[in-house]
This record gives sequence, structure tokens and C-alpha cells, in this order.
Amino acid sequence: MTNKIKEKKTILVVEDERPLVQIIQAKLEKVGFDVITARTVDQGLDYLEEVGTIDAVWLDHYLPGQKTGLDFVVQMKKEGSKWAKIPIFVVSNTASNGNLRSYLRLDINKYSVKAEHRLDEITNDIMLFLK
Amino acid sequence: MEIKKPITSAASKLVLRLKILAKEKEITRRKLVVTARQLAVTAREKEITRRKLAVTAQELRRLHATLEKKVLRRTKDLEQIRSKNEAILTSIGDGLVVVDKEGRITYINKSFEEMLGWKSQEILGKSMVQVVPREDQNGIGVLFKERILTQVLAGQKFVADLTNPFYYIRKDKSRFPVSSIVAPVILNKKVVGAVEVFRDITKEKEIDKAKTEFVSLASHQLRTPLSTVNWYSEMLLTGDVGEVTIDQKKYLEEIYNGNQRMVDLVNTLLDVSRIELGTLVIELKPTDIVKLAQNVINEHKLQIIEKKIKLLPSFEDNIPLIKTDPKLLRMVIQNLLSNAIKYTPDGGRVSISLALEEEANVVLTIADTGYGIPKNQQNKIFTKLFRADNVIGRDTEGTGLGLYIAKSIVEQAGGKLWFESKENQGSTFYATLPLRKIKKH
Repeated sequence: MTNKIKEKKTILVVEDERPLVQIIQAKLEKVGFDVITARTVDQGLDYLEEVGTIDAVWLDHYLPGQKTGLDFVVQMKKEGSKWAKIPIFVVSNTASNGNLRSYLRLDINKYSVKAEHRLDEITNDIMLFLK
Repeated sequence: MEIKKPITSAASKLVLRLKILAKEKEITRRKLVVTARQLAVTAREKEITRRKLAVTAQELRRLHATLEKKVLRRTKDLEQIRSKNEAILTSIGDGLVVVDKEGRITYINKSFEEMLGWKSQEILGKSMVQVVPREDQNGIGVLFKERILTQVLAGQKFVADLTNPFYYIRKDKSRFPVSSIVAPVILNKKVVGAVEVFRDITKEKEIDKAKTEFVSLASHQLRTPLSTVNWYSEMLLTGDVGEVTIDQKKYLEEIYNGNQRMVDLVNTLLDVSRIELGTLVIELKPTDIVKLAQNVINEHKLQIIEKKIKLLPSFEDNIPLIKTDPKLLRMVIQNLLSNAIKYTPDGGRVSISLALEEEANVVLTIADTGYGIPKNQQNKIFTKLFRADNVIGRDTEGTGLGLYIAKSIVEQAGGKLWFESKENQGSTFYATLPLRKIKKH
């Protein structure tokens, strides 16, 4: 699980809970990713644009402000978007069943409930996908 | 002499005849006197009788008059009682309806009229079940044979409240939640009809819903700090942030496990709130229930071995795929099996079986030789958060929610869940699931 990956890939983590952001970043860096963190949808979209080379997105559902993770995914997947192919991993505790369906319709890669999964598992999902 | 002789003889003959006649007359006269005397006696008796009759007639007339008065007074009293009773019935704040043996409406009160929009004269004599349809919370009409009224007319008493909510449909087709009590009317040991009292429980439902929503919100919020504890202790345990000593590892494991239990509890609370808010998503899929049961058994292998429990599975091999939500059904089996293992002392027996019942149902039976449920608490065992006295001391991990959840799921799927239990001998839980057969392609 802690095997380093060959070339450095960059993960954008969009999550607002400070302690969670820290531990997610620590774990992802531990396995060899570069990590960029954002607290809001707009900040996340800015980083996507600025950094340009994001390989995967770790996304929470409820975020500060009016916009949720769904708005973020809609922006990424909209017609003609250059980010449409970037894999998205939604990791949330609070998405309702309705929202969950919307996420799956928008073709995200995986939805995980935070409280029910180990960091190991989610990190592994991402690593397997980016292999 | 010779001539004289006939004359003398003729005269004496005459005298003789006269004498006889006189004697006969005397006899007749005497007889007449007797008759006259008798007639006099009869007349006297007749007069006495006449007088007696006159007295009786008078008495009768008097009695008749008194009786008439009494009847009049009594009738008036009865009418007063009747109107008083009717005033009371009419004024009861709850809806009231009385039906005869065939379920036809014989009386409704004012609250009934107000709550349902029907006027008494519009529906008297009509079938209550038809005039006022009943729906469950999902808007599905309740069938005639399942209507409480129908069952009550067969002799039972019924209470439908918040735990078993129903909706009544008004004349204008709008609906409201009701709590109702239906009881048979028994006369000379025979059911002659039924009386139902019902109440609009919109307010209570709103409060209940607000409470459930609060639990749901709180549970969701709780998950964030739980995730923090989870992931931080996980990173420490995996050594990702440096080695920990064996002792430290033990401590961390306790933190991690305690937190896992909290996560489970929060998840269970969320399931309960989903069931109660009706937001539980049901996804029906062709499901191999035998395989599902075997998977659940495998998940419990560790506890089964630890407690040296003898597990006896028996699955009929003719059980078809059934259309159900595998995730929910799994929760049912999981709850029942883990209870059986948890509440059976080391070395006990647990059996789990699946069988077909009349081609219509699959019956899941899970029996144990455990602590059992005390008789006086058996009626509370499906109540939320209830745990029987005899297990509270023995096991600290139960939440008292598992059976509530299992029963809700089974009933939502149209099945039934019940049990038999004897303290210190064991419990047997039965769940039936309707077989919605899947056509073979």
C-alpha cells in the first residue's frame, strides 16, 4: 500500500475540514503524490485552471459557500471542458441518495463514505486508477 | 141396583181423577216454589258478581290511567337520556363512526363530518371502508380484507397510532394522518358491529418528523469528527508517521475500535431515520437469498469460532431468485444472525434455515439456544432502543435498534417478522418474504 508510484502525479483535494485536509495530504504525499488543497468549489476550479496538470480530484460534497461538490463536477464535465477526463473521487459523509445518483450520472469514478472507509482504501482506489 | 151401580162408579172415577189432579198440582206447586227459591238465590249471586265486576273494572280503569302516566314519564326520561347521549357523542372532539355487522355506517358524529367532509345523510347505510379509503404512508390503498374494521368485525380490537401510521382520504380526496382505535360492539356475546374513534395526527407527525430529521442531521455531523479520529489513528497504526511501540499500538487500537463502534452506531441511527423519513432507497434486484445468507454467515465465522458455537445451516435447494433489495435483506439476516450469536452463551447452537412456503413465501428461520427474551418484555422487543433486562448486563454492544430495523425492512417488503422465545432456552426468529418470482428468460 505504501509503494511509491513512479512518476509524480498531482492530486487536487477539495475539502474544507482542516484536520481532514492535513491527514489526507499526509497520506497522499506518503504514497508519492503531489497534493494541492482547496477549501471551496471556486478555489478548486481556479487551481484546476492555474496548475493545469491535475491527474485526479479528491472531492467533498458539502463545502463552504453556496456551491457543493456537484457544482464542481458539473463544471469539470461540461461540454468542451478540458478537465472532462480527469478522474474524480467523491469522498463525503453527507451526500443524500439523490445527490449520490447525480454524481454517478455525471460519471464520477467512485463515491466513498468517509466514516466507512480507511484512508488506505481510498488512496488505493486512486493509485489503482492512475497506474 | 144394577142401574144405580154404573152411575156410582162413574162418579167415583171422577172423584178419583180429581184427587189425582189435585195431588199432581200440589207437587207441581211445590216444585215451583223450590225453583223460585233457587232463582232468588241465583239472582242474589248474580248481583254479587255484578257488583264485584264493577269494582274490578273501576280498579282496572284506575290502574290503566296510572300506567299510562308512568309510561309517559319514562318515555320522556328515556328521550332525555337519549338526546343527552347523542349530544355527548356528537360533541366528542375525535371522529366517531359506528358500523353494523356488515360494516355499514349507522352513526357518525360532528367531528367525523368536519374531518372527512361527509354529511351524515350522505353516507348513512353505506360501507365505511368504501366511503373512507385508507392509505399507508406511501400512498398505497389498504385492501378491504386488511382494513382494521374488517378485522375488528371478526372480533379483534385494534389501535393504529404513530408507530403504524395511516391516512384517511376526505370527500375532496385530500388526506390526513390518523390515529384510530377500532373496537367491536358486542351484544349478547355476539359482534353486532364496530365503533371507531379517530384523530388527526398531522401535528404529532410533524413533531416526529422534525425529531427524526434532527437525528439524521446530528448523525451526519457526527461523521466528520469520527472520520478525523479514524484516519489519524489509522495513520499512526500503519506506521505512516513513524513507528509506535507495542503498548502504544494497543492503546491506538482501542481508540480505533471504539471509534469504529461509534461509526456503526451513527450508521444505524441514520438507517433508522431513513426508515422513518421514508428516504430509504429501495433497489429491487433478482437476489439469491441463499448466497446472501451464506455470505452473512462467513462474515460471522470469527465470532462463531470464538464462542465455539455450533452453527447449523439448512437451505432448501429449490429457492428461486427473489426480487428484493439485497442490501436491505442482508441487513435483516445480519441483524438476526448476529443477535443469535451474541445472545447465545459459548458452546451453544444456532441454526439458520431458508425454506419455501406454499410457493408464495421464503421463510427465514434463525434459532438459538441462548438467553431468550423474558416473557414480560416480549411485547417491547421491536421497540426502538429497547433492550431486554437479561442481556443488558451481559453485553454492552447492542443498540436496541437492530430488530426495529429488521422488522421495518421486512414489513416494507411486504413480509412478516416474528419470534418465539423462552428465557434461558433460546429464541427463534421467523421472517417471511413474499416470492415475487422472476420470469426465466
